[in-house]
Amino acid sequence: MHARAEIEFTLNGVKTRTAVPADMSALAMLREVLKLTGTKYGCGEGECGACTILVDGTSVNSCLMFAVDCDGRELVTIEGIVSQPRGEALRRSFVEHGAVQCGFCTPGVMVQASHLLDANPAADAQAIKRALEGNLCRCTGYRKIVEAVEAAAQAE
Amino acid sequence: MGPGIERYVAPRTLDEAAGLLRGGNVTLLAGGTDLMPQTQAGRAQFQPVLMNLRRVPELTGIEQRGDAIRIGALTTITQLMQSALVRERLGVLWQACDHFASDQIRNAATLGGNVCNASPAGDTLVPLLVLDARILLARKPNGAALQWRAIPAAEFFTGPGKTKRAPFELLAAIEIPLPAAAFYQDFYKLGTRPGLDISGISIGLGAVREANRLRGVRVAFGAVAPTPIRAPRTESLLEGKPLDAATIEAAAEAAAAEVHPISDVRASAWYRVEMIRNNLRRMLEDARPR
Amino acid sequence: MGAAEKPRTPESLIGKRIPKLDAPEKASGRTRYLQDIDLPGELHAKILRSTQVHAKIRSIDTSVAKALPGVHAVITAADVPWQRPIGVAKDHLPLKTDRVRSLRDEIAAVAADSEEIAEAALRLIRVEYESLPPLTNALEAMKPGAPLIHPEPHGANGSPALKPGAPVAFAGKPDNVAMTFDYHQGDVVQGERESDVIVEDVFRLHYVTHCCMGVSGVIADFDPGGNLLLYSNTQVPFLHKREFADMLGIDPGRVRIIQPPIGGGFGSKLDIYPFEPIAIFLAKITRRPVKLVFTREEEFLASPTRQPVLLKLRSGCRKDGTLTFRTVETVHDNGAYTSWGATTPFVMMQTISSLYRVPHCRYHTVAVYTNNPYAGSFRGYGNLQATFAVEAHMDKLADALGMDPLEFRLRNAQDPGEVTPQGMHFKTCGLKECLSTAAARSSYREKRREYAAQRADCNPVKRGVGMASMLHVGGGAKIYPSDGCGTILKIDDFAHVTLITGASEIGQGSETVLSQLVCEELGLPLSSVTVVNNDTDITPWDVGVHASRTTFIAGNSAIGAAKKAKAKIFAAAAAKSGHSEDALDLRGAHVVLKASGEPVFELGKLIRSLHFSDKAELVMTTHYYEPPSKHQDREFKGDVSAAYAWATQVAEVEVDTRTGIVRLLKITGAHDVGRVLNRLGIEGQIEGGVVMGQGYALTENLIVEDGAIRNPAFRDYKLVTAPEMPDMDISFIETMDGEGPQGAKGVGEAPAICVAAAVANAIENATGVRITSLPFTPERVYRALHGELAAPVWEASA
Repeated sequence: MHARAEIEFTLNGVKTRTAVPADMSALAMLREVLKLTGTKYGCGEGECGACTILVDGTSVNSCLMFAVDCDGRELVTIEGIVSQPRGEALRRSFVEHGAVQCGFCTPGVMVQASHLLDANPAADAQAIKRALEGNLCRCTGYRKIVEAVEAAAQAE
Repeated sequence: MGPGIERYVAPRTLDEAAGLLRGGNVTLLAGGTDLMPQTQAGRAQFQPVLMNLRRVPELTGIEQRGDAIRIGALTTITQLMQSALVRERLGVLWQACDHFASDQIRNAATLGGNVCNASPAGDTLVPLLVLDARILLARKPNGAALQWRAIPAAEFFTGPGKTKRAPFELLAAIEIPLPAAAFYQDFYKLGTRPGLDISGISIGLGAVREANRLRGVRVAFGAVAPTPIRAPRTESLLEGKPLDAATIEAAAEAAAAEVHPISDVRASAWYRVEMIRNNLRRMLEDARPR
Repeated sequence: MGAAEKPRTPESLIGKRIPKLDAPEKASGRTRYLQDIDLPGELHAKILRSTQVHAKIRSIDTSVAKALPGVHAVITAADVPWQRPIGVAKDHLPLKTDRVRSLRDEIAAVAADSEEIAEAALRLIRVEYESLPPLTNALEAMKPGAPLIHPEPHGANGSPALKPGAPVAFAGKPDNVAMTFDYHQGDVVQGERESDVIVEDVFRLHYVTHCCMGVSGVIADFDPGGNLLLYSNTQVPFLHKREFADMLGIDPGRVRIIQPPIGGGFGSKLDIYPFEPIAIFLAKITRRPVKLVFTREEEFLASPTRQPVLLKLRSGCRKDGTLTFRTVETVHDNGAYTSWGATTPFVMMQTISSLYRVPHCRYHTVAVYTNNPYAGSFRGYGNLQATFAVEAHMDKLADALGMDPLEFRLRNAQDPGEVTPQGMHFKTCGLKECLSTAAARSSYREKRREYAAQRADCNPVKRGVGMASMLHVGGGAKIYPSDGCGTILKIDDFAHVTLITGASEIGQGSETVLSQLVCEELGLPLSSVTVVNNDTDITPWDVGVHASRTTFIAGNSAIGAAKKAKAKIFAAAAAKSGHSEDALDLRGAHVVLKASGEPVFELGKLIRSLHFSDKAELVMTTHYYEPPSKHQDREFKGDVSAAYAWATQVAEVEVDTRTGIVRLLKITGAHDVGRVLNRLGIEGQIEGGVVMGQGYALTENLIVEDGAIRNPAFRDYKLVTAPEMPDMDISFIETMDGEGPQGAKGVGEAPAICVAAAVANAIENATGVRITSLPFTPERVYRALHGELAAPVWEASA
């Protein structure tokens, strides 16, 4: 068994303290310890982006991040994203533009899109496609996702 | 599965980190993008101590020191791409970063991690060879102050996942001699996607362009040998010669003869050799003054 | 809206862009997929799989694993002597008894307090094997004297010996032939005689797999009375309810399947796979809820694949461009067990016989057992493979005649009203319009000439266009005794509708389109419908989500229920108002006069007056829709679907001859969809299908060597990513099918089917090189361009 470490961080704006095994991923901590299931397991290897979260304002695959490394940092998950104006606008745009089918990749795509627009509010289709390279979607063929992000960018 | 992690430590200074490392039995954690999947899949085992380097300030930052650029080992790929110094002076490295995995991974993965992981296909390694980078290692013998040594990147890699770093040494930084302003740099990675592919082969080219000649030529290849390699015969064929069709053809052929790739799920050895030849040829054609 | 206010002119919902009803939840991360559900007291299960491709199991020692703290059960076949074989041919025991036949084979399973403990326990199980010669080439497996994969009958009781009274798992096979299919029409010998041009090629179609973003999983839970509750991602809950009941020896009424929202289906969940019964066994033995969820690696290793096929096609035509005959032989690598992949000839022979008019056809398939992974059903169901071959020959024959390939296709295309020799009746058929539309919008003729002329120039980057068409069932497929779907519809006192349908939502948007059809019928806004569609204790029977059937079949069922409700409302309104029923209509939640739109009753009020009266009635209706299709006869002839969908796609590609990298620049598609119901939804289906077809053509390749999958991760199993997506120009050809709901046909599978065939033709246009094996990875294309690619050969001696 692995040692546990006590860690403290901000999660969606709320100070959070928990103890985690040293080998645990941030994804497992979110889903299994903190029961925030909006962040999805898709591959566990950083290849699909379904587990994307923001850490100190930058997007990462939470499946590749050690939970202990969350100590002292600021985490935002899909649950936090959609409670902010940009996330709300993205959600509306995803719904209106048909960017959601089975929806399993959607939370990760939303977080990544939100991170893109934080950095580049005027992102065009080309920039959006590049930014979403690490988010696999098996249903939509990406077109409606790109349109949804583009529309949200233009609405800002 | 191994004995498991007995202790998690997150040192705050390089001195502290190097001191902890001296005790041995340490797994180093930087970005985690390689360590996590490797340990989860059982391909790597944890040592009794997991040391998170992320809180060590001396391992961060990109700065010019005299005629060299020092890049802290914890610098993420995204930070490299955002650096004007890297973009303007280390173009071959910047291009490789642009072809590095996905945004999410670029935001977490570190240059030091990519170097220590020593994959033959590691995206940043070929540029480091082209740039004549030096790997700076720090260690702290018992009771003594920090000691440093520098190893040229071309000598640092000894096999897949293997380097000259000793277990008690910390890769602290990469030092790159500032290339001349006229230093021409180009990078190519074979893949169908902008970044997410593991490279089938990669090629780095650097040289000072003088009229129609290349001088100080450096050519490096990835994914064609157990480590990223420089191509001395190809380089010498190009050195100082007029960059005409005959030179280019000779260099492309020499490169094809100089690499000894393996066949795996990504490509056959035959195809890799073809790709080295064809793409080096194209890069040299692009390098001709217009 | 007040009763005095005149309802606006009715605005039809049909053809509008209707956002998916479940999208807001999903985009907020609030949707609870199976993976997100935890039941109190739940245990976590893991499966031990074979490390050998083909071997006898000498012994299994679980004693150390059982002693690990936190382990509740470790089971092998010996613990479930009552287990029964699963799968299409019932040749597959969930837990293997005496023999393993592929690397995915399940040997033992653990239920523990956590996944980590279950994994640790797996590592403590000792299995002794006696290796058997592996058989990983289907052609070798067909040869006389080849080692047998299912040599003898085996029992289900965990011992190799058959015991009197104990269930027999599988009767055994004297050879490695799992299934054969033979079909013929006309006389191919005569067809050859009548031909001026004959071409023949061997095509090799590869392994790909579904890669649903949500990995497979199940939760099994028994109540104290022994009734089973299963949380399942299945696409066919009612069929599986019965199978699980049979397996447990209980009445099917005691099995309840709840389908939480699902992270992708695409046909992968049409069969029962061993992990489901194994979770059930563990739940039964531990008397605790048991959750079993795959890792992504396990998903690659132990999920079904698309059917790999070796296909020999011989085709002919006359000088005037009329097709004369087609002869097809295929070898299907069945893998170790039989699932739906073996039955893809049902669809393949339709394309062979009826995509274009061909008088003489012969089709023959042998599905052969090997020690490879086994194939299931996958969006398109054999049609990608058949279309790849047929459309390659359409170009080849046209080129041999010097005829424009579009012209050649138009000459042989089906027309509305046609009944094909295979018995399919094309009541509507938009193929010719699909062909002309896709060709015109892509400038196919001009570009094809232009690009062919550029082949010899010095630019190393070539361009090409290629065309392919497809035919697929679009009105269900009568495979099972019934192809129907039931609906229960109730309208409450406030005119809110609850639509209870048998049709499962798997992300494709059925919930939304069914609501739309009901609202259209009842003149209600979409906000007045709630859909219940995921619980077999509540929903009426449906055969399942497959064969592009849900919009068509469940749609007609929902409309039928809505029409009955409407009739009841009109009868009541007529009785109360004195207007004739025929004069009434429903608009804007009101009963109105059809002619003037003048409101007669507010709907809620009318329903309340029915409810709270002496007669005390509610508006509740049911409807079961069975399509007017026929089962095929023993010669595979019959009108198996109530409608047929058509499409033509033109692919434009760029080929870098220095690397072999092919970029798909654009797909111009024209799809006969009957009628567009939800424009947003149908665009999403088509775009997603096109990109899935692109993956099949260019990037996806499940590499199976010596029975082992070499690339069980997204790193090397390459799904198409956002930057690779092509431009798409999609036209909808609306042929208004008479049987379809509001004229619509099913389209779920159609868009994925002809991409690879169109890309192959485009590469040929760009480079002059015809490649007959997939996928078009850079190395394969580069080799082909340099004469270094061995063409597939036909060596079967059968």
